This record gives sequence, structure tokens and C-alpha cells, in this order.
Amino acid sequence: MSSTQFSRRGMLSRAGAGFGLLPLAGMLGQHSFGQEIARGPHFAPKAKRVIFLFMNGAPSHVDTFDPKPKLAEFEGQQPEGISTKGNGFMPSPFKFAPHGESGVVMSELFPQLAKHADDLCVIRSMHTDTPNHEPGLLLMHSGHQQPTRPCLGSWASYGLGTENENLPAFVALCPGMPVVGPQLWSAGFLPASHQALSVNTSDMQLSSLVAHLEHPSMSRLQQRRQLDLLDRLNRLHAEQRPGDGELDAHIRNMELAFQMQTEASEAFDVSREPQQLHDAYGSSTFGQSCLLGRRLLERGVRFVQVYYVDKGKQPWDTHTDNNGGHQRLCADSDRATATLLQDLKQRGMLEDTLVIWGGEFGRTPYSQTDKKNDKSKPGRDHHATGFSMFLAGGGIRGGMMYGSTDELGMHAIENRVHVHDLHATILHLMGIDHKRLTYRYSGRDFRLTDVYGEVVHDVIA
Amino acid sequence: MRMLVNVIACCACLLGVPNIASSEDSGEFFERKIRPVLIEHCYACHSAEGKQIEGGLRVDSREAMRRGGETGPAVQPQRIDESLLIAAIKYESLEMPPKEKLSDEIIRDFEKWIAEGAYDPREETAVPIEEVKTTIDFEHGREFWSFQKPVRHEPIPHSFAEWSQNRIDDFVAVGLEQNGLSPAPQAANEVLWRRLAFDLTGLPPTISQLAQWRQQDSLPKVVEELMSSAAFGEHWARLWLDLMRFADDQAHIVGDDKSLFFPNSYRYRDWVIDAFNSDMPYDRFIELQLAADIISPDDHSDDVALGFVGLGPKYYRRNSPEVQAEEWEDRVDVLSQGILGLTVACARCHDHKFDPVGTADYYALAGIFASTEMFNRPLDQQRETNDKGHAKDPVDALHVIRDVEPQDLAIMVRGDVNRRGPVVPRGFLTVLSTDQRREFKSGSGRLELARELVSKDNPLTARVFVNRVWSRLIGQPLVATPSNFGSLGDRPTHPELLDDLAVGFMEHQWSLKWLCHEIVTSATYLQSSQFAENHLDPQNRWLSHMNRKRLSVEQWRDAILLAADKLDAQVGGTNIDPSDPQTRRRTIYSEASRLKLNPMLALFDYPDPNTHSAKRAQTTTATQKLFLMNSPFMVQHAAALTEQVRERRISVREAVETIYLNLLSRQPVAEEIETATDFLSLSGDNLGEYVHAVMISNEALFLD
Repeated sequence: MSSTQFSRRGMLSRAGAGFGLLPLAGMLGQHSFGQEIARGPHFAPKAKRVIFLFMNGAPSHVDTFDPKPKLAEFEGQQPEGISTKGNGFMPSPFKFAPHGESGVVMSELFPQLAKHADDLCVIRSMHTDTPNHEPGLLLMHSGHQQPTRPCLGSWASYGLGTENENLPAFVALCPGMPVVGPQLWSAGFLPASHQALSVNTSDMQLSSLVAHLEHPSMSRLQQRRQLDLLDRLNRLHAEQRPGDGELDAHIRNMELAFQMQTEASEAFDVSREPQQLHDAYGSSTFGQSCLLGRRLLERGVRFVQVYYVDKGKQPWDTHTDNNGGHQRLCADSDRATATLLQDLKQRGMLEDTLVIWGGEFGRTPYSQTDKKNDKSKPGRDHHATGFSMFLAGGGIRGGMMYGSTDELGMHAIENRVHVHDLHATILHLMGIDHKRLTYRYSGRDFRLTDVYGEVVHDVIA
Repeated sequence: MRMLVNVIACCACLLGVPNIASSEDSGEFFERKIRPVLIEHCYACHSAEGKQIEGGLRVDSREAMRRGGETGPAVQPQRIDESLLIAAIKYESLEMPPKEKLSDEIIRDFEKWIAEGAYDPREETAVPIEEVKTTIDFEHGREFWSFQKPVRHEPIPHSFAEWSQNRIDDFVAVGLEQNGLSPAPQAANEVLWRRLAFDLTGLPPTISQLAQWRQQDSLPKVVEELMSSAAFGEHWARLWLDLMRFADDQAHIVGDDKSLFFPNSYRYRDWVIDAFNSDMPYDRFIELQLAADIISPDDHSDDVALGFVGLGPKYYRRNSPEVQAEEWEDRVDVLSQGILGLTVACARCHDHKFDPVGTADYYALAGIFASTEMFNRPLDQQRETNDKGHAKDPVDALHVIRDVEPQDLAIMVRGDVNRRGPVVPRGFLTVLSTDQRREFKSGSGRLELARELVSKDNPLTARVFVNRVWSRLIGQPLVATPSNFGSLGDRPTHPELLDDLAVGFMEHQWSLKWLCHEIVTSATYLQSSQFAENHLDPQNRWLSHMNRKRLSVEQWRDAILLAADKLDAQVGGTNIDPSDPQTRRRTIYSEASRLKLNPMLALFDYPDPNTHSAKRAQTTTATQKLFLMNSPFMVQHAAALTEQVRERRISVREAVETIYLNLLSRQPVAEEIETATDFLSLSGDNLGEYVHAVMISNEALFLD
């Protein structure tokens, strides 16, 4: 590892200021019992930062990125060996077409994203271990179906620290709580500072976004004066206790907090963006969250999760009216995601920002009808054995479709990519060898990918 | 509809129940009318070959059908009304098959079939039993230091005899001498008073206590007073709650279904507080938590202690075999790390790679928990119960465990529930048994397990607990890995001291108060925390001075409440939200959520209650400081203390003295009074800003 891989800021933060970096803990003589100290990337990263756009509830692959014309032929037939709750295979009503020079195929639900086809790498051969939301969400986030492990963003924070000492390394943007809740961005057994700063995006007013950013009555000037007093008290205290580095860390963090009031206020304030950009992202919570996500990435936040969640519900969980639901959801997601790609590109950030789009699994190629058997608005059920996600930017080979499902979209068959493989690949792009990013806990070295995971080198530029 | 019937219980009860009718007619009826329907309409979702097993129910064998799924037995011979299958195919509860209701004729066939005894020749398909080899040499393994029984040691002579107050100091002195170090002088009284008060009760001394102690001038009396305070148990209970992953709920919730939550978890917390306050011997403390209902079957007053297991996580889809196996792992993990300082759960998939713990040992322990079930025991006879005796509403229940039909588990090869190795009788760890693994025969084996854990021949239990208590008081453990005394754990810095204290602890009826007293009256503990900058022993392994300790979130919040004169000292009771400025009770009573941990607690290193916590992390972040600067909790309590000071209409000097005594338990020095006077003369009324600054100063957060 060469120190030239670090930005000066990064070095500073590693040298004892960042949001709870482990090297900091080490320096302070805190008893970090047995864990290895992460010291930045194992090799040169292609993605300096990541934004994971999470379509909670699970989008339907056969209606979005994985066209299955055969479904029309088999329409109404029941899949073999499966008892379904609907009327058999259901073709997508949406038209698919290749786009860009590369000819990446997507459905008509993504008119904006189609313009970025050459940036996208669609993985059509994703698969996961469970078709249930709770364990599926946990697996996609932490590599494990039970709520006992740190999530992807926390591992990244633990491994790489933060780029901006005045902002956290990892931020989760979610309107209300998703199913499962904060376990999705939990640091688990990693030190608590690697947990995401979670931001409730139901109300994008600055004062409701981040807790305790402002004193309820004191002016900034009064507070400056108060902190000068505090600094003097703390220094008097520390002078009588020489050699105690931890006291210095507390003094420094108090000063950082004061700076953060300004910096975070600025970073989280989307109202500073021009109106035309607001319009381009769309006025929806998801659109505005993507815009906020970009502001944070731009300011050095390493890992941003944006949840497409609606009042604690999983909007993409289209058990009924799958087609209507996808029309509505994709319109919103398409606009915001495409604008995000465009915005990142314009700022020269796309090449080292990894954008990930997807949900916890896919949806069945066959239909599901509700109890009343309403055939006019069929839904689709959860589907774990084959689904699609896409990656863009951050060292990804754009204009690519990777892997495939069988002709009916039931199972990933070619170049299968498990969730663990996806995790290994994401870490790899960030410069981390997933097998070497470990944390000693409960008597053994844990890693995000447990004993699994292969980097999918074919999708890397 | 959620009855949460323990799958294994039903399985065990119904195995071997003969079929009522097994004539040729029954066989023919089954083959003609029943089997084809099951295959055509049910197998896709409810058989071993299906895509997935919905609801944990398989209908591809007699046993599986009678065992049933998540909601209970699908078929109970001759009992049509209690056979959930019938309700489901009649669309009275679940609607099965979901696609289309079966014809009335078929439904009548099923009713007839069950009424006549539900003849079913389909045996459970045998899974081949795989060989599981172990290469562990237990005899050799037992030679490791932590598996050797601790014995009393005689400290060797040293040159700090005058300094030494008790045996602890003699062992520490030898270490100091051998490393060319000497002990620090005793700390000043006002430092010790604050240290003792926070360490023993989690609270700072009050101003009147300080005055009284100054008059008494007797440290033993201070120690005695603090240890007999009810705040002692409140402070020490947290040690235990961290390691047994105390919580009020689960990490998941489906809709609004709170049936898996623990609304009465606080009763367990109260029991722990009482146990420490009454100095319940630690061996009994453990026995009751594993087997109170067996130890005193007629007296239920300690049954709440069974929350040790009974408040464990209940995972999503908990009746599926995979998830059951995960829950057993939680129980084994908490017990083995928490009480024995061993990571036995590592052996779930393969023999432990570093310690003499085999996969068979893991399943011997897991079998004990597989022979129990989580039980919502009704609080009294007035509560509504379901047919299994659970309170229908968890609000009416103690969250405990009870035995079900005992079962020994087969090893799951590589942790895979579908691969079976040999069956392992329930029992204790081989390495802690003499010779062969001790097997447990009585019921689930809980009581036998508890007795093994607290046997005086057990080399680990006392050592592990002594180390945790030492760590809390001295600021660093003797064994730096408090929940891993195995070969990957650290070796003790003072092995003889650890052993001597462990034996002394057992000889003194496993008394926490004896242990605390022994430690806090040692010269080692009473040392000043001052040290030279160019220290020879930067980690202070040899204890040549006291460690400066950072207050836990509990100590720190409670101290602020006390300083603002807002502390409600009520002992025991229901949950609070600690960040609510109106809430006045101690932090130990905070809600403890697996689903959404209180953000204030999460910010200040409170452990994730989903798993055992070996030791608290200590992080220092700017977001913590933002809380100190701007949160309503801090702002309002600073204002409250300011108001008190203001009302007394005293001079600046007296005001500063009051503020220091309240927040830092000491008088200010001249320079500090000067700093205060300068600041307070800066502008109109800035006393509030001053109070807030002292309240969030480093000194208020640390213990010298």
C-alpha cells in the first residue's frame, strides 16, 4: 500500500480526526481487542465513492431489463413444479429495445436512462438465497440473513474511512424506515462510528434532516465564544494530565463538530441547487434524495444509500397491479437515476463514482392475483433465483449486458452473480480485497462475504 | 393465526403414535383419494423437492404433516377441527391451494381420511448419515492455561510492602517491580470520592455526600455506603444486560404484529438489579437464569430470570429448520461467550479451528436449547391463554423458556440443516468434562448445564466474571479479550492475580460485593491516574497508575440529570426514552430495541442488542459533540442547572463553586474562577453558556 493513494484530506482524517477511524482508536491506545486495523485500500481503487439506489420491494426484471418474449408463447401456462397464486406466465406489456451504440436493452419504462445505455452494465443473472423481504434485505445489505452482521457501507467506512473529516463516511437516505429498519445500515459488531448517519428524507428541510446541527437559540457567534471557553477549560484539564491523547481527540472533535455545523448545513441543503436541476431530478422524495446524495458524494461522503421507500412501505413490492405500479415507479426512478448519471458525468465524477441500481430480489415471470382473482390487475410475486441489477461509473464496463436467465426469466443460468459476488465486486472496485477486509469478533475473522464471493472481473473496465 | 407451535415439540409428541386405522381399505383410500391430491396441489410449495417450503410445512411424509408448519400440526388423526389442513382447504383460515379451492368432494375425502385416523404410509425419507471426524486432542487441549483450574497463589516478596493494602497489590507490585516501575501515589480524596461513586453506583457524589464524607474522613465508610445503595445494583446490572443482549423486541416486524416482542422485559431487568443489590451469589444467579422453574417448581418468584434465554432473538420465519438452527446458535453463543469466555458457536459448522471445542460439543449444547421453547408464561391465572398455555398477548406474559420433549440433535454437517452427521447426546463441553463429555439426562438438561457452569471445578466461569468486574473498576481487563479465553484470546497480564481473585470469589460465596470491595480497597485502585508523558508502559499493563476512564452513556446521562436536580431515583420499572429531556429516570431503564436502537444510545457506544457484547466500543466522533452542543437534552438540562444557580442569588465565585461541585465534584481552583469571571463579564447574561460549557467539558466525561 502506498501512501500516494491517499488524498491529503484522507491522510489527515486517518491521522486522527475522522469519524471514528480505527487508526484513530489505535493511536489513542483504546483497547481495540484483537481486530485488524484497516489502513485504506489494498490496491488502487476505481471507485472512490458509491451510491446505491435501492428499489425496496424488488423490481420486476422481466418488465425492466430482461426481456422474455417467450413468455407470450407460454402465457397462461403454469410453471412446472410450482404452485402459483396466479394465472401462469405473464408476458410483459412493455416494449423492449436496444439503446445507445452498445445496444443495451431496456424496456420503454426507462426513456431517460436509455440515453445513458452506454454507461450501464446490466447484470441479468443476479440470484439470492431467499424470496422473503426481511432476510433478503439483510442478505443484500450485510451478506447474511440474520440481523447480526455489519452492512456493506459500514465495511467500506471501516476499510477506507472518510474523505471529508467534517462529514460522515456513510450516509443512508430514507423517507421513514424501510422494512427491517436501521439494521440495514448498522455497523453490527464494527465500532459504532461505522454505522450510517441515517437521514429521514420525508422532509427535506435542513432542520429536520440532520439532528442537532443547530443550537435552538444561541447564535453562531455566541457559540463560538462558548466553545472558546470550553476549549480553554479542556486545555487546562489536559495540561494537568499530560500524555493522554484521548483528551486531545475530544478537544479536536468538539472543534470538528462546530465546523460540521457549517459544512453539513451546506452539504445537506438541497435548496442551494438551481431550480432546473431540482426539476430534472423530479420533485419526488426519491428524486430529491438522489440530488442530496450527489451533493454528499461531491463533498467526500464515501458511501450513500438512497432508499426508494414510501412511508415505511415497499413500493416496488407489486403483488397487485404490477404493470401500473412499474409504470409509476419506473417513471420516477428513471428520471432521477438518469439525471444523477448526467449530473455526475457533468461534474467529472461518474468515472470514479459507482452507481448501483436494484432491489433485494426480482419478481416472478408468472402472475399473482389477489384473493378476488382480479385478472385485470395481476401482480407478480417475489423471485430470488434470477433477477437484474445495473451498475454504472466507478470502473464499470459501460454498455454491457452480463449473464442471463433462462428463456422464461425463471433462473439465472449463464454467468450467475450471487449477492456475495456483487459485494466482492463492489469492494474490489473500491480497492478492497473482500477476503482481506476482516474484523476479529467472537473468536473469528468475519468478512462481508463470509466464506463466499467471487469478483466478477468481466464487468470491470 | 400465529400460534407459534414449536415444531419439534409436536414432532416429538406425535412420533410413534400408531395409526388408528391401517387396514387395506385405508391404504387404498389414501393412495386413491389423498396422495394424488397432495402431489398435484400441494407438493410444489410443501415438499422437500419443492422450490421452497412455504410456511415451514411439508406434506410429503406422515411425520412432516403431523408436525406441521409455522402455525401448527396440519393433520391430527381423528381430530378434524384441530387439523389445520382442513381449515385451509375449506378456505376458513389460510386459503389453500391459493389458486383455486378444491372441490367439495375432495374436501369431504380429506375429512373422512382424518376422521378415520389419517392413515399415511409415507415414511420420512432417510437422509444419509455422514461421518464426522474430529482430530481434536482433548487431553492436550486441557493443558491450555484457561482450562486449568485456578488455584490460590502466594505472592512472592516485593519491595512495595508498605504500599500494599491487600493480596491484589502484592501481585501487582511484583509485576511493577519486575518491569522497573513503581506505583503512583494515592489519589486525592475528592478524586477518590468521585471515582468510587461512579464506579460503584454509576452516579457522581451529591454535594451533601461530599460534605459528609469530608467530615467522616473514612474511605471504608464511603465504600460501605455506596455498596449498600440501591444504585449499586442499577449500575452493575448493565454489565450483565450487555452480555446477555437484553432487548424489548425483535430486529424485524411484519406489519404491526408485535407478538414476538417482549413488553415485560423490564421485569427481567428488575430481577437482575435486585440480584446484584441483594448480593445473590453468582453461581445461584446463573443457575436461576437457566433453570429457576426446575430448581423451585412451586415458587415462581425467580422464574423471570429465565429471560436470560427467553429474551433472546426470535428471527424471521423462526420455525423453519434453518432459522431454528440460527436461534440455537444465539443461545449457545451468549452462554458460551458470556459465561465461559469461549466462542463455542465457531464449532457449529466445523471443529473449532483454535480451541478444543468440537462440532459435537456444539450440538451437545444446542440440543439443550432445542429441548426448550420460548414461553410467554401468563403473569397470573386471569390472563387469556392459547391452547399451549402461552398468554395470548405478550403484554400479559413473562418471557421465559420451558422444557419440551427432549431431543438430541444430529450434527448438521458444515452447518447445513440438510446434511446429517451422528446424533450427539445433550451434554457439556468435552474439554471441561473429565475424560468423556458429560451427558445430560434430566429433561432438556438445563439444570445439569447450570450446575456444570458454576461447579467449582469449572476453570472458566469465575475467572471470566472476575475479569469483567476488574475491567469495569480498573478500566482495563486482566485478559484483554473478556469473552474469549481461548487460544486466540489474550493471555492474562497477571495470571496469578486473576486466579487468586477467582478462587477468593468462589470462596466468598461468589459475592460481587466482596469482589468489588476487594478491588476498590486495594492500593492499586486508589492510585492517582496521573502519569508521566514518556511513560515506560504506555498501555499501563502493569498498573503503575490508575487508568483514566471515560464514563459510559449511562453514567454520563445520569450525572447530568443529577446535576440538574432532575434525577428520579425510583428503582425498577418500565422503559424510558433517555433522550427525552422530560424523562428523569436512570439510563439503565432505557428502551432497548433490536429493531431501532435509540439514537442517543447508539451515538454513545451502547451495544447492539442483537448479539452478545463482549465489551463496549469507545468512539469519539463529531456527531457526539453535536449532541452535546445542540440537543434538547443538553440544552434543557444546562438551563435547569443555570436556573438553580441563578435563583440562589449568590456571588460569581459562589456560583462557580456550586457549578463545579455539581458537575465535577470538586472546588474550582483560582485560575478556573478567573476564567469564569472573565467569561461572565463578556456580555449581558451568559451564565447559561458558561454552565453548558462546563457540563460538556472533558472533565465531566472522564473519571480520574
